[in-house]
Amino acid sequence: MTFKTQASAIALAATAVLGASPASAWSLEEAAKPYAGTEVEVLFLDRPGYAAAIKMLPEFEAATGIKINITTVPYENALGEQVRDFVAGGDIDIALIDLVWIGNFAENGWIEPIEKFTADPALADPALEIDDFFPLVLNAFGGWNGTIYGLPFDNYSGLLFYNSCMLKDAGFDAPPATWQEVMDTYGPALTKDGKYAYALQSKRNETQSADSFARFLWPFGGSFLTAEFKSNLNSPESQAGLKFRQDLMKFMPEGIVAYDHSEAVNALAQGDVAFITEWSAFYSTLASPETSTLGDCLAVAPEPTGPAGRKPALGGFSLAVATQADDAEKAAGWLFIQWVTSKANAGKYLELGGVPARQSAYADPALAATYKFIPALVESWQEGVPEFRPRFAEWPAITEIVQEWGTKMMLGEVTIEEGAKVIGEKMEAVLAEAGYYDGNKPLAQ
Amino acid sequence: MSTRIPRRTIAAFLGPAVFALAVVGIVPLLYALWKSLHYFNLTKLAQSRFVGLDNYAFVLTDWVFWQAMGRTATLFIIAVPVQIALGLVMALVLHRPGLTLWKTLTRLSLVLPMATTYAVVGLLAQVMLNLKYGVINQMLGWIGIDPINFIGDPTNAFLAVILWDIWQWTPFVALVLLAGLSTVPPEIEEAAQLETKSNWTILRHVQLPYLIPSLVAVLILRTADTLKLFDMVFTMTRGGPGAATEFIAVLIERVGNRQFDIGMASAQSIIMLAITIVLARIYLRLFYREVR
Repeated sequence: MTFKTQASAIALAATAVLGASPASAWSLEEAAKPYAGTEVEVLFLDRPGYAAAIKMLPEFEAATGIKINITTVPYENALGEQVRDFVAGGDIDIALIDLVWIGNFAENGWIEPIEKFTADPALADPALEIDDFFPLVLNAFGGWNGTIYGLPFDNYSGLLFYNSCMLKDAGFDAPPATWQEVMDTYGPALTKDGKYAYALQSKRNETQSADSFARFLWPFGGSFLTAEFKSNLNSPESQAGLKFRQDLMKFMPEGIVAYDHSEAVNALAQGDVAFITEWSAFYSTLASPETSTLGDCLAVAPEPTGPAGRKPALGGFSLAVATQADDAEKAAGWLFIQWVTSKANAGKYLELGGVPARQSAYADPALAATYKFIPALVESWQEGVPEFRPRFAEWPAITEIVQEWGTKMMLGEVTIEEGAKVIGEKMEAVLAEAGYYDGNKPLAQ
Repeated sequence: MSTRIPRRTIAAFLGPAVFALAVVGIVPLLYALWKSLHYFNLTKLAQSRFVGLDNYAFVLTDWVFWQAMGRTATLFIIAVPVQIALGLVMALVLHRPGLTLWKTLTRLSLVLPMATTYAVVGLLAQVMLNLKYGVINQMLGWIGIDPINFIGDPTNAFLAVILWDIWQWTPFVALVLLAGLSTVPPEIEEAAQLETKSNWTILRHVQLPYLIPSLVAVLILRTADTLKLFDMVFTMTRGGPGAATEFIAVLIERVGNRQFDIGMASAQSIIMLAITIVLARIYLRLFYREVR
């Protein structure tokens, strides 16, 4: 059964069940009637999940008469564009929130809690089923300090994408289960003849902080901060993880500090490396014959485990209604968020290249044959850490520090200890300035 | 008979230009100056406060700022003399008589690098200098040279930015100097050619004095451009790897647009502006005196 037919069946079944209940009075068309003609502004990124939503959009606009105006920006610009817009009281009606921006947006009062809309029977779809979202994803992407502001929209977990043919040729029937195996067995065996075992995207931007630096903290028992919000980067566990990353560089292509997502994905897609750890969203790029030579050799597994467990990279975006929108825009924006992240649309979103955060979307075991990343993704979302990168308002300042000194560590310009010490001192200075140490702010991350 | 132009007419002609300059240039500058005296972070507006000269004190004692300034100065010291030398050679060649069609085509092609958007120039560099798939490394491979890690190695990345800046701006210098050469009276050049066969002597004693205004213009514009160099570096290396290509404008953008610390970024910008003004005054004093 394809997703379209499955989604239709679910929708029909839901209609049949709800037909006997008071909730049957609610329909998207009726709810949207007062807002027909309303225009809603939102920023999107140039990534598969957004392309999927754009393909679905005509259906929403035809049903509601609401016009969703999308401006596509590079990830690097998305935060700045939104911050300036919110400070200036601009046009954006729906906030696109990376999980590390949620504290910033919530604390500044730029986004509305979803309760404002879920408590309104005219706007709340009875089939919203908030509990159907993976709890980790809902809380990490859309929640801050116990309040849910956004619904998970473009959802990622770090996964191990690998070239099963290269592994097979080297005598491996399965991907590495632990990072130690990568270091001891897979790395040496797969780094030869101009090919490398592993590419870890480490460019000096959010990629360095999220994909490279943090990825080797958590599985080794490390973290950015202690419970008292002091730097934990010089703890034995954090140091072990960061030193491990440094040692692992001998199995990575030269110039790995210049690799962003596109370079890492391309290296695997072109058969230059045997495996990468990348966001689930890149599955469609790696699976497409237009952008990848892997074909049937593409395989996906959860990230390897470290001494402290898997604790894979966690990232993604939620959509939330902006407080600066007027009432009609808020209502129209909410109806769009609710619709595009709905249980009924999750299958279509998946089929078009998106990654929904609905548990029900992955319930059919047959889907794993079509979408090879599903089992690994579902497993990863059971073991993620919400504060993989702290989500407080100070992260934009801290990530810049991590990006600079994390790259310097990898280049050997500073030792791991020195680099961690500098990051720790600078990070604590940012947190002190913000008032975390004098009791002015709750220690939430 | 002399006619005195009424003050009102003068004001009417000058007014729009002064007004535009005030709105576009002076008001934002004053606003930046005012903000530089505040703690003003877009994500922490509730904490905004007047801090006097604290931001300046921080910037002037901040090692990161002076490192970025040092990189910018190094870029300038290496790139601009090379641009002037190459630009002068190109201008002298184009100034020679004959080959009119080829010279016209060359002049047109010289416009291309500087007409290309800075950000696109950086993206071109990123693609062309790619270690694995870049055309430059492919061409080096044809003559037996191993691929060079241009973008991923700190020293190479710095040199690559310098090379790319030279590629983009040498044509500009050549065209400005060519315009300067066209101001040399032909009869003086011809008389000099009768006196000596040495091109160097003609350049030194006849052409160079006429080129001084052009050179001053080139120095002032290239100084300002180098201090403002951002787009190309941002798309090419984003200031990395590490901080190897974090020039002063890249640093200010990072503080202002990524950390949202507008107060600190304003202080950095005002200091940079002061440095630019001082350098411009020095050029004018040193070189223009000769012309006067």
